[in-house]
Amino acid sequence: MQRRFLSSLSSSAGNTKTLNQAKWSVKQVKKSNFHLTLDEIRTSIDSSEFIALSLQNTGSYAAAWHRVSAIDTPQTSYLKAKYAAERYQILQFSLCPFSLHDSKLIAHPYNFHLFPRDELKLGMPSYSFSCQASRLTSMAREGFDFNTCIYEGISYLSRAQESASKFLSGNPILADPITVSSSSSPATVADTMFVGRIRSRVKNWRQSCIESRSKTGDDDLVSCLRRLVLGSEQYGSRLCLTIDVCSERQVQLILEMMTEFSDDVVPLLVASKSKGTQSVRAVFMSSKKDKDLFKRELQDIENEENRRVRGFREVVDLISSSQKPVVSQNYLSDFTLIHAKFLGPLPSNVDDFNSSLSSAFPNVVDLSQLMKEISPLSNISNLPTAMSSLNRFFAPVDVEVANQGCPVKSNEVHQSHGQNAVMLSQLFAKLRTIQKSDLSTLQSNEDCQGLASDDENVKVWSKNNRRVSLENLVFIWGLMKKMTASKLKNVLQTSHPVFAQEFDVKYLDKSCAIVVFWESGLSETFISDVNNEEKLDGSLREMVAEGLRASGYETYKRACRLGFWEAELADSLDKSLESSDMDLDLDTEASEIDWSSEFAINFDEL
Amino acid sequence: MRRHKQWPLRPLAYSFCSSSAETVTNSTVAFPLKHVTKSNFETTLNDLRSLVKAADFVAIDLEMTGVTSAPWRDSLEFDRYDVRYLKVKDSAEKFAVVQFGVCPFRWDSHTQSFVSHPHNFFVFPRQELTFDPPAHEFLCQTTSIDFLAKYQFDFNTCIHEGISYLSRRQEEDASKRLEMLYGEEGIDSTVETEDLKLVRLSDVLFAERMKKMINEWRSGLLHSGNASSESPRISNGSTQSTETVFYHMRPALSLKGFTSHQLRVIKLVVGKHFGDLVYIHSNDKNSYSQDFVVYTDSEYDKENLMKEAKDERKRVGERKIQYAIGFRQVIDLLSSEKKLIVGHNCFLDIAHVYSKFLGPLPSTAEKFVASINNHFPYIVDTKILLNVNPVLHQRMKKSSTSLSSAFSLLCPQIEFSSRSSVSFPQQHVKIEVEVDNVRSSNWNAGGKHEAGYDAFMTGCIFAQACNHLGFDFKQHSQSDHLAQNEKLDKYINRLYLSWTRGDIINLRTGHSNADNWRVSKFKYGNIVLIWNFPRKLKAREIKECICKAFGSASVTSVYHVDDSAVFVMFKNSELVWDFLTLKQQLESSDGPVSVLHPLSKILEGGNTGAADYEAYKEICSSHISKIVFSDQAETVGVKSRTRPDPQGETERKEENTVVVTPTASDLIDTFLANRVEAKAG
Repeated sequence: MQRRFLSSLSSSAGNTKTLNQAKWSVKQVKKSNFHLTLDEIRTSIDSSEFIALSLQNTGSYAAAWHRVSAIDTPQTSYLKAKYAAERYQILQFSLCPFSLHDSKLIAHPYNFHLFPRDELKLGMPSYSFSCQASRLTSMAREGFDFNTCIYEGISYLSRAQESASKFLSGNPILADPITVSSSSSPATVADTMFVGRIRSRVKNWRQSCIESRSKTGDDDLVSCLRRLVLGSEQYGSRLCLTIDVCSERQVQLILEMMTEFSDDVVPLLVASKSKGTQSVRAVFMSSKKDKDLFKRELQDIENEENRRVRGFREVVDLISSSQKPVVSQNYLSDFTLIHAKFLGPLPSNVDDFNSSLSSAFPNVVDLSQLMKEISPLSNISNLPTAMSSLNRFFAPVDVEVANQGCPVKSNEVHQSHGQNAVMLSQLFAKLRTIQKSDLSTLQSNEDCQGLASDDENVKVWSKNNRRVSLENLVFIWGLMKKMTASKLKNVLQTSHPVFAQEFDVKYLDKSCAIVVFWESGLSETFISDVNNEEKLDGSLREMVAEGLRASGYETYKRACRLGFWEAELADSLDKSLESSDMDLDLDTEASEIDWSSEFAINFDEL
Repeated sequence: MRRHKQWPLRPLAYSFCSSSAETVTNSTVAFPLKHVTKSNFETTLNDLRSLVKAADFVAIDLEMTGVTSAPWRDSLEFDRYDVRYLKVKDSAEKFAVVQFGVCPFRWDSHTQSFVSHPHNFFVFPRQELTFDPPAHEFLCQTTSIDFLAKYQFDFNTCIHEGISYLSRRQEEDASKRLEMLYGEEGIDSTVETEDLKLVRLSDVLFAERMKKMINEWRSGLLHSGNASSESPRISNGSTQSTETVFYHMRPALSLKGFTSHQLRVIKLVVGKHFGDLVYIHSNDKNSYSQDFVVYTDSEYDKENLMKEAKDERKRVGERKIQYAIGFRQVIDLLSSEKKLIVGHNCFLDIAHVYSKFLGPLPSTAEKFVASINNHFPYIVDTKILLNVNPVLHQRMKKSSTSLSSAFSLLCPQIEFSSRSSVSFPQQHVKIEVEVDNVRSSNWNAGGKHEAGYDAFMTGCIFAQACNHLGFDFKQHSQSDHLAQNEKLDKYINRLYLSWTRGDIINLRTGHSNADNWRVSKFKYGNIVLIWNFPRKLKAREIKECICKAFGSASVTSVYHVDDSAVFVMFKNSELVWDFLTLKQQLESSDGPVSVLHPLSKILEGGNTGAADYEAYKEICSSHISKIVFSDQAETVGVKSRTRPDPQGETERKEENTVVVTPTASDLIDTFLANRVEAKAG
């Protein structure tokens, strides 16, 4: 009896715990209410000091070693994040513009449902994307509504895709004035003949246009016949002439020739299905004023079209143009995704990425970095835990949700989506109160992203961080299955003289371990001995015979750079070794990492 | 806005049946379809066993998350059969199956009609096994997802409630791993604790507290017998609680509400300070983990206990594997019953079945053919039937042989299900639908693109087609196997490897090489693949350039793979070699000659790659899928091999001159003759 009472007590205690994770009403934005909400979002962003964002993706890493870990240099971390960002999709983008007034946090949380719908039928924004089954399952457990996401998600195009789509959408566009001026190769006889032919055709047509303008009394039949004879058509209310072309060279020639008639003829380019120009359309202007009007009309159409295809990216552009500090939970994975989906293809190295990103988002606050400064042992990946770990500090934060016109329905499950962004803003507020740092230190936060590739040191054990030079790291694989790090260490200890000195062993995934030598020079000796079987004896010889391989950090870097993302690190390293001949290594980046046990793979989690 | 409704699953499955029972005469009844998710899977499977056993044939259909992982992975004009197979293989490996329609058909001699049982299984590759999970990842093609959405596919049901599965290979691997975990002696979980060191102050304090608590419990146990400390303890009002229970007939302390880290500390404490106590971690059927500290009265007893606990864990593991097999049981059923499987344009479906439920797809089409026959001895493709059989082809009146149009053309009485249209009773096979023991022959077909409904349509087409072939179901007895009927013999186990190209693969005699394949009009040895040329060049311009260099008759045709690559078909294979050599020469010399050379237009930019057809095969066999072909070629790394190696040359020649066997040619002849006929008529 007593027992039952107590157990029910403990279960109710568990319930209140989940309830304590306060639920704020978050405005859910879908395709249907997106355009209506846009102005509201703009005001929210304008009136806030900071913007917190959090993403819900279809996956994070396909294999254990694909996760960014302590053994990674900025470049390899970036390559791992890039690989993930290019494959996975963002399904939810939660955004929380917020301001801080003492202990009061005024938040404007939004949660956007995204889906990369191919609205232009051009394979954009993405042809396909990967899903991690386990990720989708855990999202389902949290009550994620996949139907809403797929049926009503907002689509988008990246900046790069938008400029590519402009031409492909089929609407005629104004010829770019820059292409007109650049007269490239010398004209051949054929060119001259072609230009002459087109010029006389345009001349005749233009003449007829001028005549028809003066003779307004023509009856429909006559004007119709005239149009047929001259091959003249109408573009809107204006007369036009379509000239088919076979190459971009011809387009160039026609545009150059057209400048002769620039007073009353405006050339437009019409795209063909296969990305080239299909024809040039000359449109006749009745006056200078008409010409200005026409150009404005075209511009309006284009803007409207762009707005339509841009979709959710409009919000990203708003964040970007506001230049406000952006708070994110995981700088690298969030912003590689944002860059890949909304800005353009990810560059191949981390420096280019940083500079490209900072032009769009100059102020980024990496919350995990900030967290480390205050509470070095906390792990930010679980927000509620991170929050409670700060309870020993007195830092009250009152959250006030200030979204206008957002009905609160307590029982609606989907309202709960997008809580993370609010929690991030809350955590940020707490940290800032604790740190008592003024705004000025935060503004320069772009430097503390820890990603600049000239960073020369990295750490390895989190509890007693030690810096290791990359030269002292050796990857070993082809080990007997079922071996723990401590066992392996024992085996190694007796196998070779280099292990007489202090060294450490960690598994990176189940196929491969890393050996850290604390004295330089030993790693080279070890690697060269392993590759030279005659010199070996005892247990190491046996292990090599059984398939043990060893290699330095270069092999790992190459595997990341060449994109050998096999499921097991051992396979990737094998491939990397095979390809070493065709390799020209230009990397002159970080030569040290921080070695910490925290990041090494914990088998309990797998 | 019915689209985004969340299906309340159970009610849905039952509502279909109940409504069909009540309003059989109402013509607006939804099509009765048995929806199966993980909640009603086990019971449905039991019913399905007898239905399949009694069936004359079983129609299947699959819904996938996509078809091609890149635009150029689509079936192209220039794809040789082996390349085509690689493309199908890539598709089956990358995309997931989200719905599986299974529809057994049985001839009912009482009602003189076929009784069908359409089942619509929601399938999702959920990770059911927690130990050493295979990294499950699949691709979604945006347009395919959109297509599913257009037909109101319920993604929530699929992901929340879909039935998971393990392939035979995965099951074997999982069992092996389980064997490794619990089978061997000596390997025990005690090793792991060595890694744990008490660093944090809180851990040290906690360990001390636990030590004291366990010590108290132990001494209480020893001094006043087992029945003493019945009262559970609760520390500091937190959720942690300990309770004295019995574990395998031994007194034990059950630990509840501790974090996994705390449990590890407890384990460490027990191992270090208490020789007669054993820490046990167990999972029960519902995979709730439970942790105990168990008292043992001797070293022998301790060993026994450890063994018992290990055995139990193993048993739980085995049960879990059994459960995780999930939907594959349906495939095993179809395979073991050796029933005639009917699909529509189903090569990709069969490849999916193979890769999801049997094991990794073999590397070549020949090996695939040899292997699939062991599992599914009789497969018939209605699309083949409709296109190759002259009678049926004529009946199709040149209209599309897509599933829905074939269905409405051949089975109008079923599609509209109105009694008035049954004007040719002898020509139209009567088909009834039975779901959950309720029969109906009247419903509103609705345009729903569910796998179960598609499987039903496929089966109807097959039944109708058999009827047109002069197959008399009335005289056909249960003992006859449909698949052995001579009228069907020509069509069984022949699938379209590529519908657009008309490549037919014969699953029955697939042991030897290429002789089961339709002879190709292409000589693949004459083909050069060129990529990364200046993007603005069009096929015609490329042809002109090459013709300038090699003579106007040198190039037969130029086809685009995508914007970034073309196939150039030369008149003969010597020209291929000449072209590749010339390209290399031009690239190595920077002189004025190379700038003025006609080929320089193609080589502009210096990144242009070119290779023979074998390189294309190599590119297709890669598991990487870049959207743009030239990126793919660069990533796969065939760029360095722009010259065909002379050794491979001779081999390839043999391969390309395909011998046409009598059986295959027979098929093709009838097919072609029939085409002519159709044109004439």
